Amino acid sequence: MAHLSDFMTPLELQKVSNLQVVARLVVEGFFSGLHKSPHKGFSIEFAQHRQYVQGDEIRRLDWKVFGKTDRYYVREFEEETNLRATILLDVSGSMSYQGEGVSKHHYATRLAASLAYLMLQQRDSVGLVTFDTRARTFLPQRSGVPHLKMMLNELGTTEPGGETELGTVFQAIAPRIHRRGLLIIISDCFGEVKDTIQALAQFRHSKHEILVFQIMDKDEVEFPFKQWTRFESAEQEDEFRMIDPAHFRAVYLENLRKFQKELTDGCNRHRIDFTTMTTDRPYADALAHYLTRRQRRG
Amino acid sequence: MTFLNLILLGGAAAASIPIIIHLINRNRFRIVRWGAMHLLDAALRENTRRLQLEQLLLLLVRCLIPALLALALARPVLKGIEALVGSARSSQVILLDNSYSMEAGGRANGNFAQARDETGQLLDKIARGSDVAVMLMSGEGGMLLDQPTSDHARLSRELNQTDAGFGKAESVKSLENAVATISKMQHPYREIVVVSDFQKVSWPEEEDAERRRIMSLLQEAPLPPRLTFMQVGQSDAENVSVESLDFARLILGVGQPINIRANVRNFGQRTYGALQVYFRVDGKERLRTQIELGPNEETQVLFTHDFETAGSHTIEVFADADTLSADNAYQASIPVWDKVPVLLVNGDPNPQPLKGETDFLEIALRPYGEAKADLRDLIEPTVIQPRLLNARALEDQRVVVLANVRELDNAQLKSLQQFVREGGGLLIFPGDRVNAQWHNQVMAALDGGLLPLPWLDIAGSINDSAAATRIVNSHHTHTALEMFNDPRNGNLGDGEINLWRKLKLRPADTSVSVIAKLESGDPFLVEKKYGEGLVIQCSTPADGDWSNLPARPFYLPLMQQLVTYLASTVYPPRNVDVGKPIAAIFPKEAADKTATVTDPSGGSHEIKIRAREERALAEFTDTQRPGLYVMTGPDKEIIHFVVNTSREESDLRRWETSAVEAMAEDLGASFVRSADAYGELDEHRRFGREIWRPIFWAVLILVFFELWLQQRIGDRR
Repeated sequence: MAHLSDFMTPLELQKVSNLQVVARLVVEGFFSGLHKSPHKGFSIEFAQHRQYVQGDEIRRLDWKVFGKTDRYYVREFEEETNLRATILLDVSGSMSYQGEGVSKHHYATRLAASLAYLMLQQRDSVGLVTFDTRARTFLPQRSGVPHLKMMLNELGTTEPGGETELGTVFQAIAPRIHRRGLLIIISDCFGEVKDTIQALAQFRHSKHEILVFQIMDKDEVEFPFKQWTRFESAEQEDEFRMIDPAHFRAVYLENLRKFQKELTDGCNRHRIDFTTMTTDRPYADALAHYLTRRQRRG
Repeated sequence: MTFLNLILLGGAAAASIPIIIHLINRNRFRIVRWGAMHLLDAALRENTRRLQLEQLLLLLVRCLIPALLALALARPVLKGIEALVGSARSSQVILLDNSYSMEAGGRANGNFAQARDETGQLLDKIARGSDVAVMLMSGEGGMLLDQPTSDHARLSRELNQTDAGFGKAESVKSLENAVATISKMQHPYREIVVVSDFQKVSWPEEEDAERRRIMSLLQEAPLPPRLTFMQVGQSDAENVSVESLDFARLILGVGQPINIRANVRNFGQRTYGALQVYFRVDGKERLRTQIELGPNEETQVLFTHDFETAGSHTIEVFADADTLSADNAYQASIPVWDKVPVLLVNGDPNPQPLKGETDFLEIALRPYGEAKADLRDLIEPTVIQPRLLNARALEDQRVVVLANVRELDNAQLKSLQQFVREGGGLLIFPGDRVNAQWHNQVMAALDGGLLPLPWLDIAGSINDSAAATRIVNSHHTHTALEMFNDPRNGNLGDGEINLWRKLKLRPADTSVSVIAKLESGDPFLVEKKYGEGLVIQCSTPADGDWSNLPARPFYLPLMQQLVTYLASTVYPPRNVDVGKPIAAIFPKEAADKTATVTDPSGGSHEIKIRAREERALAEFTDTQRPGLYVMTGPDKEIIHFVVNTSREESDLRRWETSAVEAMAEDLGASFVRSADAYGELDEHRRFGREIWRPIFWAVLILVFFELWLQQRIGDRR
C-alpha cells in the first residue's frame, strides 16, 4: 500500500518542521511501499561468558553452562543491536547553498534524521558526528528512543558554517570510532579529492563499511546562471568571484565531471559506496539505497 | 585627412554604446552564496585570460563597427597619398567656350572643332567612375547633360553634337557656376578645366578682380579644386560683322515702305574692295549691294522695302565676308498689319455731324474711308459709347481712346488696365463731361496710375482769344512727333487752344514724360509706360469745342502718329536677347493646345499653350542660340522670333599665350595648350584619395567577424 509521503519531495516535506515527524513520514512511507518487510532482525553475535553477579537479569543466565559447571554464568553479546552505524554529517558553510528547492543542509539533516529513525526502528545503534573543519558534536552509537530524540535535537539545531576539509576532519574523527561498523557520510565532499579518499581509505582500513551520500544542489550540477553574478564564498568571508557565468559554464561542468569521476573512482577503488543526491530527489531514494546496501552486508 | 561630411563624424560617439551596455550589465549583477568555489576557481584559472581576451576583442569589434561606419559616412580624404593617374576617381568640370567667336576658322576645322576634340581627349583621360560635367560658357551657362555624370561615353556623344555659335562667353559667370557645380560633386580630387580661345572681350582686364574673388572662394573650399586654362585655336582677328539693324519701330502696314539701315563693321586689318551685302525677306534675297570696307572701318548700308502681305515677316542683312557665320548676318522679325483696330470711346455722342466728341478723330484716323476713296486705311476705328466698354469690346483692339469720358465702372476699369498692361495703347482726352475727381482719385491711383497725371482746373477762356494758347513747336525728339520737325508735314504751333486742362506735374515721377508743351507752360501731351503698354494723356479735347486743332492741317497726321505710335508696342516682343524667353499670346480657346517652335539649328520643339487670365500664352525658354525661331500656333499661324546676341564677340582679338599664362599664374591656375599637356601636368600634382570604400568594407568584415566570434563564444556556453 502506497503511502502519501512516498510521493512527497523534500520541498514539500520542508513544511513539516518536526524532524521526527519527517523521519517517520519518510521511513514509514518508504516501508509501506515495499512488499517484503525488513523487520525480521539479525542474529545476535556472542561475545563471552562472565560470572553472574547480583543484579544481573535472571533470564540472561546460561543454563547449559550451569548444568555443566554448576556455576552461574551470564552470556554476554558483542553488541546489543544488529548494526552499529555512525552518521557523519557535514555542516560546513558550503552545505548552506540553497538553489530553487531546499538548502543542502536542510536536505542533509532530513536525510540523516530519516536514516537514524530507520536504523533505530530496526534496533540498530546509531551515532552522529557533525563536522566542518573539525568535529562539532559527537554522539556515540546508541539505540533507543531517547537517543533518537537526542540525535534529532542535535540535527534540528545545528547550523552550517565554517570550511570543509574532509581529509583532515576524518583523520581526526577516525580514532574516536572504535568499533567497526557502518559509516554514513553525508556531505557535498567539496575539498581536496585526494585527501578525502585517503581519509576514507583509513576508515576502510579500520574495517568500517562506508556509505557516502554526496549532497549537491541542482545549480551546482547544472550551473544554469546567465547574468553577471557575484559568487560569494559560503565558507570564507570576504571572498568572492565576480564573473559572467555563462562564459564559464562549459569549463565548470567539465571540472565538475572530473571531480566527480575522481571521487567515484577513489571510492570504487576502496569499495566505498558513493551516491550523489541532488536536493530535489526524494529522501526515500537514499533510504532505498541504504537498505540495498544493508541487505548486501547482512 | 579631411572630411567631406564632417558633421557625420559625430556618429562615432556611438562607439561608446557597447561599453555602456557592458557597464550596465556588470552593474546589474546577482549575488550567490556559493559552495563549490574550488570548481569555479579551477574554471576561472583556466579560462579567465582567454575569456578576457575574447571579450575584449568582442567589445573592441563592437565599438569599432559604429565608429568606422561614422568615419565612412564622414567621407574622409587622405591628402598625403599620391594617387595614380587614371586610377583615382575625380570630379571634373570642363568649361567649354561655345560662344560664336569659337566658330572662327570654320565649322569643320575651326577653333571650336579643336576645343571639342581636346575636350573629348580630356574625357578619355579621366578615370572611369569619375563624375564629369561639361558646362557651356555662353548664354545661361548650362550643362551639356542636366547633371554631372560618370557615363563618359554618353557625354562624348553629346559633345560631338555640340556646336558653337551661341552668345557671348561669360567668363566670370561661368566660373562661378563651375565652382557651385563642383562643390556638389562627389570625389575629393576636383578639377576645373577651362577650354576657351581666351578672347579679349570675354576675358576683359576689368574682370580681373572678379576672377580673383572667385579664386579666393575656390581656395576656401574644404577640398579646393584645381583650375587649369587650356587655350585652343588659332589667332585670326579677321572678321566682318553686321552689328545692328536700325529701322523705324512704328507699326507697319501692308505696302508701307520701311527703311532698314545695317551697320557693317570690319574688325580685322583686311581691306574689302567689293563686299557683297544681301537683303533678304523671309529668307528670300530681295536686294544686293556691294560695299567697300577698309581695316577697322564701319559703314552703313540702307535698304528700303514694302511688304506685300500682312503677318509675321523676317528681314536679314547678310555680309558674305568670312567663315565666322554667326555675325555675318543680322535678322529682325517685323509684324506687318493689315488693319490696326482702334476703339474710340465717345463720352459725348451727338447725332449732328462733327458735333460728337470723336467725330473729328474718326475722320482723322480713317481719311480714305471717309472720303470713299479706293485707298485703304491702316487704322480701323470703332466708336462706342462708354457704357459698352468691356473686356469683349477690347478684344483684338490695339489702341483705346477715351474722349471726354465721364467715368468708368470698376469692371470696365479693370479690363482697361489689363488691356494696357498686356501692351495695348491708351489715349486720353479731357472734355466738359470728365469727372475730374473720379479720374484723379480712382484712375490715377490705380496700381501705379493708369492716368499719367491728375487733372487740375480748366484754364483759358472760350471767349477771350487773348487767353488762348498754342502748342510749342520746337524740335521734337519723340517718335510720334518726329515727323513735325519737317515743316512740310504741318506746324503744330498753328492751332489755337482756348480751354485746356492743367495737369498736375510731379517732377519726382520719372515714369511720366512730357512729349509736347503748351506756350502757357502747361503740358500738352504726356506719356507713361504702364505694364507693357503705353498711355498718352492730352490736355485738350479731340473735338473742336475747346480749340481749333481739328481744323488745322496737322491734326490728321498728329492723330495718326499718336495712334500708330501707341499701337506699335509689340507684346510679347518678337526680337529678344539671347537667353530670354519668346512668347506669343493666343485667344483663350487655344489653351491646352500645342504650338511648335523650330529653333535656328532646325530642331523642333512642342510647347503647351497655357491659359492666362482671359488669354492663352505659349512660351519657349530655350533660346541660348541666336537666330530665327519660328512658332507655329494651333491654327497654323506663323510667328517669327529673332534672338540676337551682343556683337562684342565679333572682335576676335584674343590674349596672347603669354598673357593667358600670366593670368593663370596670377590666379594660381595652370596653363596648358592641349589635352596631352594636361595629362602630363595632372600626373605630377594629383594628391588626395577618398577612403570611405575600404572603411565600409572593413565595417562589413567586422560585422561578420562579430557574428562569428559571438557564435564561437556562444557555442562554448
